[in-house]
Amino acid sequence: MGKGVHIQELPGVGTRYDVALGGGGRRVSIVVSRDGKRHLYVFEDAGDEPDAVVELTEEQARKVGAVLAGTYFTD
Amino acid sequence: MHANLIGLGALILVAGLLARLGRRFRLPTVPFFMLAGILLGPFTPGVTLFEHPADLDMLALLGLVLLLFHLGVEFPVEQVLGSGKRLFAAAGAYIAINIGAGLGLGFAMGWGTSEAFVIAGAVGISSSAIATKLLIELRRLANAETPVILGIIVIEDLFLALYLALLTPILSGANSAGELALRIAISFGYLALLFAVARWGARWIGKIIDSREDELLAILMVGLTVLVAGISAEVGVSDAIGALMIGLVVARTSVKERVERLVLPLRDVFAAVFFVAFGMSIDVGAIGSVVVPVLIAVGITVLTNVTAGLITARLFGLNQRGASNVGLTVLGRGEFSLILATLALAAGLDERIGPFVALYVLILAVLAPILAVNSRMLARFIPDRLLHDRWRYVREETISTACTHMDRIQITETDTDVCPPCVESGDTWVELRMCLTCGEVGCCSDSPNKHADEHFADTEHPIIRSLEHDDGWEYCFVDATLIREPAGSAQPSS
Repeated sequence: MGKGVHIQELPGVGTRYDVALGGGGRRVSIVVSRDGKRHLYVFEDAGDEPDAVVELTEEQARKVGAVLAGTYFTD
Repeated sequence: MHANLIGLGALILVAGLLARLGRRFRLPTVPFFMLAGILLGPFTPGVTLFEHPADLDMLALLGLVLLLFHLGVEFPVEQVLGSGKRLFAAAGAYIAINIGAGLGLGFAMGWGTSEAFVIAGAVGISSSAIATKLLIELRRLANAETPVILGIIVIEDLFLALYLALLTPILSGANSAGELALRIAISFGYLALLFAVARWGARWIGKIIDSREDELLAILMVGLTVLVAGISAEVGVSDAIGALMIGLVVARTSVKERVERLVLPLRDVFAAVFFVAFGMSIDVGAIGSVVVPVLIAVGITVLTNVTAGLITARLFGLNQRGASNVGLTVLGRGEFSLILATLALAAGLDERIGPFVALYVLILAVLAPILAVNSRMLARFIPDRLLHDRWRYVREETISTACTHMDRIQITETDTDVCPPCVESGDTWVELRMCLTCGEVGCCSDSPNKHADEHFADTEHPIIRSLEHDDGWEYCFVDATLIREPAGSAQPSS
């Protein structure tokens, strides 16, 4: 994994990827469950209360991921 | 062929509806299945769907076997083995404290030695399903203490296998110490044999059940599991361990993912029948006589869990929030307690164990989520000094996700108490900072030369620590965030 992505194993659940978004503790944590579900946590500051949590199925995650990565567009 | 289909269907339906009602209040499902059994069982006035709960035995046993098989299949062996000594120390402390207190309680109740061991297991081993669901629902998957909590409950699952191997011979009612020792030896020998199969024979097992068609894989998997469970029971080891171990074996084969997916709905349905059947065996009239011991047991469990949480927090350098989250999340008791109680009743132990465990699980089912949600309240009462000697890590670990450069910390101590470049040029400085990557000491950004800032600009070493005594905060230049707050701001962040 590239710089700034912290990987954490969650035994029995899956793997967590913490991605720093610059200063002030802004970050997103993505938990990839073993059953394919994704939990997306968004933090606006350094605290441990997430500002938003989104649960995605594998299919939805793929869609969102493709859009984020810029590989999906219609024109 | 005679079967009470109406009774069975109504029972499962009511159990499901009750559990769904409980889920609205975010309560765990297992206790509600049990409650359905109690309400509709022969001992409770009102509707009785089954005059003889024994009619459900076969289905309930299948539920028990599939429950443990699934546990074995999805047991994360690699993650646990790779998780390091600290986690094993924390889990060991958790288990020792809880089982120890459970044994003390069991003997104090004076129901007998075998009964004491069952009670120790029932109050000592937490429910992994309840804890995992809680972490997801309380949105705590990203917390610093969460990997630790999950690690502990997974190691507890493994401990359950060992405990069952110890318990079954004890319950078998050996007449002499020699016979008991022999039975325990057989039990652990059989466990070792299954471990060996898991280690070296998984490929062959895989060949036996492998099929490209899901239909056949599901059938072969259930057949193999039930057979191994049955043989295990015949050898004098419990069917539960046999199922768990064959799960571990299957987990090492190439069909693991498919088995995991296929067994899940089967497990859910039949495990529910198992919990319902347990509930049906409970005599409501007997609950009154166990209320006091149950309340004491609940009190002890809360206490031992909070203690274990504090020990874990010390080991991992978590703060008050982390400590209380660990202690109060693993509080739930469920499937394992019911399994142990079932084993005890099947072995003909004191019948009060049934109502005792039933009431205990019900109370904790409601109490555990409430306490876990409000863990912050407990955090306020934990004095600093319980966690303070590892304070260095307290903030770091808790907000470690705010700074992703913690792995660049290589040096944390220095003897230097001057700013060397300032000494060389004859300048003065205000405060000293130390680079935690290479150990270089420089002056702060209020000093005329700002050598610490200069060092970061030159080397990109991200983290500095203040060397002013009693100060000791740490700061990451790249993320522009404090990763260890000044001493004294010990209060949890919110």
